Amino acid sequence: MNIVNIMLSGVGGQGILTSGRVLALAALDKGLDVKMSEVHGMSQRGGNVDSHIRIGESVPSSLIPKGGADYLISFELMEGLRYLDYLKPEGRAIISKLKITPLSSNLKKGASYPENIEEMILQKAPKAKLIEAEKIAKELGDIRMVNIILLGAMSKDFTLLEKSNFENAIKQRFSPKVAPLCLKAFERGIENG
Amino acid sequence: MKKLMLGNEAVARGAWEGGVSFGSGYPGTPSTEILEYLVKYDDVTVQWAPNEKVGYEVSVGVSLAGRRALVTMKHVGLNVAADPFFSSSYMGVNGGLVCVSADDPGMHSSQDEQDNRLLAKAAKVLMVEPSDVEECRWMTKEAFSLSEEFDSPVLLRMTTRVCHQTGVVHPEEKIVLPEKKFVKDIPKYVLLPSNARERRHKVEERLKNAMKFGNESDKWNPIFRKGNKIGVITSGVAFGYVYELMSDEASIMKIGLTNPLPLERMKRFAESVEKLYVVEELEPYIEEALKAMGIKVFGSELRPYTGELNLTIVEKMLKGKESTKVTIDLSDAKINQRPPTLCPGCSHRGMFTIFRDMGLKVMGDIGCYTLGAINPLKSMDSCMCMGASVGMAEGLDKFGGEGVSGKTVGVIGDSTFFHSGITGLIDMVVNKSKATLVILDNRLTAMTGGQPHPGTGMDMKGNESPRIDLVELCKAVGVKRVRVIDPYNLEEIKEVLEEDLKAEEVSVIIAKAPCVLGFKVKLGNVVEVNVDLCTRCGKCIRVGCMAIGEKDGYPVIDENLCNGCGVCVQVCEPSALAFKKQN
Ligand SMILES: Cc1ncc(C[n+]2csc(CCOP(=O)(O)OP(=O)(O)O)c2C)c(N)n1
Repeated sequence: MNIVNIMLSGVGGQGILTSGRVLALAALDKGLDVKMSEVHGMSQRGGNVDSHIRIGESVPSSLIPKGGADYLISFELMEGLRYLDYLKPEGRAIISKLKITPLSSNLKKGASYPENIEEMILQKAPKAKLIEAEKIAKELGDIRMVNIILLGAMSKDFTLLEKSNFENAIKQRFSPKVAPLCLKAFERGIENG
Repeated sequence: MKKLMLGNEAVARGAWEGGVSFGSGYPGTPSTEILEYLVKYDDVTVQWAPNEKVGYEVSVGVSLAGRRALVTMKHVGLNVAADPFFSSSYMGVNGGLVCVSADDPGMHSSQDEQDNRLLAKAAKVLMVEPSDVEECRWMTKEAFSLSEEFDSPVLLRMTTRVCHQTGVVHPEEKIVLPEKKFVKDIPKYVLLPSNARERRHKVEERLKNAMKFGNESDKWNPIFRKGNKIGVITSGVAFGYVYELMSDEASIMKIGLTNPLPLERMKRFAESVEKLYVVEELEPYIEEALKAMGIKVFGSELRPYTGELNLTIVEKMLKGKESTKVTIDLSDAKINQRPPTLCPGCSHRGMFTIFRDMGLKVMGDIGCYTLGAINPLKSMDSCMCMGASVGMAEGLDKFGGEGVSGKTVGVIGDSTFFHSGITGLIDMVVNKSKATLVILDNRLTAMTGGQPHPGTGMDMKGNESPRIDLVELCKAVGVKRVRVIDPYNLEEIKEVLEEDLKAEEVSVIIAKAPCVLGFKVKLGNVVEVNVDLCTRCGKCIRVGCMAIGEKDGYPVIDENLCNGCGVCVQVCEPSALAFKKQN
């Protein structure tokens, strides 16, 4: 069974579920099977959240084992680092260069946000792509576009799905008012992927 | 047409397709979204109940009226509804009655990990277990027919990874049901001991018939044949892992109708293979049934007794190896925890800051405010189950002795108070407790996503509905000292608490302010730091707000997050924090 595994991670409220949904819709658009797993509830109050997405001809189960992800898309640097061990050796990481300091690091002396986090990620996953997704989203005039930009970056060498599948998914998921900007954000993502 | 749906959405879809007239329940992760999706169908009446027991009982009434009813809850909710759940088993149904129990293996957002398959068995009702999203749809739909056919409530047992799985479904049209009416039937519906003794035999007969049905049903309990060396019996979310790993090399039996278990079918399957495994999450429910028949089986000894399964664990169980290995080592990366926290501006924060500073013994409860137990507030001393804060505060206050008696408060959210706090408060009154109960009135069930409750004054569709007044309610059950305070005014909180704790009678303090997240409240101007005045005492940081960062011991305010609640301003002795002037 050939299944492609994509792990999404970030902080509650960053739009991770929306990204996952667009990706899953794109898979459906291509006529593939897809399963996605996510955790709602307690984790949304500023805690870390993740979403597992698995795409293939037929996908029986929904959780990605550690070491089994072909892709990791992270919305925040520390959440990228936290989930890095989900990647396969040849897996690809796409990580937004955003830092959100967790409350706990304010409280423990000397436990501030790791300063060299970008180097650490690149040292552990040399092919990881760190992207200024927030900056690009601001240029586009809507900070919420981060999730689509990251998807675009990931789609670049994602041979399982065509670009048109993503575009159709975006048009399905977003209202006609927002969709054009999303499509633009997707392009910018590809350019930066 | 294929559609993408969340498991919970597919349950709602299946219920609608099956002609459900009514949905009720009480929110609780991972079950909450079922009713939130069901309410979108205009031809179904959907309403939140104050608790699971009431939701269950209203649904039984609907069933007696001849209509189909769905009631939803998380696993611990079924404990609350257990009384009607067990007895309704003896009554049976008129219209189909399906109760969803959403279990939470791994305790993603729950206080325990109970396996409610055991409750279905104890209550002797039928139980079905979907393993993916499409099964959520058709099994819910068909569960109503099973309910009517076998005259039994049906427990639809789900788990987090089924509820919150998104997958492909094949929606169907709504079925047309023949009209049914209420029929007076005293021997069936009035469970006097003499009637119950008769019904007890019906229950046994039902299980026998349903087992016969399960033994023969390829639809509910399918077998995927592949040789006779290895056989695996499995159910629920575990099926996916087993099928993915073993469909090429083992015969697999999936049980969808898991109470009563299809014992004959399981036995025949066991006899058809050389080595038999059972793969199931949590309790060895299927495994023990096989063992009781004297069948040799491998299962629970090969897996953890707690938590969820995944491909890695199941592969180790069945193949003794792990083909997916972790290759990136994170052991040297110091990654901070990112625990959930109270939102910036949350009305609970000031309360817990004062509880901590006064050194109170706090019998807590379940809701967003349970976050008051974690660093840096750490001012909650217990959290057991919904409503428990009230009785526990009474007990601890009565027998705590020095330093505890007279310093004990119960703390409960408003939704939780309506759910199961009122009876505790009645106990406090009639048994002359002198403890203080604090009700955190934020007008919503915040923890589970902001559902309305009896104090909100709004129904699920956003229409106005009668609002139960907390002050009147507490007074009506006999509490004389009831006061409403502003939870953003730390001085007021402290003053009122001190007075009420001294009082020789039970007291209730209602801390009233709407949930900032749910009602999108912006409280005030953002706070700024005057570094010249700051002594780096750290008090502001210890209110535990995401908007307050730290650099070299000084607070740094994140203006995008700060809601302007002013709790940090009030704890700052040198007045280094102040609201920014409007520009
Ligand atoms: C019996 C039971 N049902 C449901 C839940 C899920 N649950 C936990 S807390 C809570 C309600 C919280 O609302 P409230 O008391 O108003 O506090 P808030 O989160 O608004 O601060 C719910 C529904 C549970 N833990 N136990």
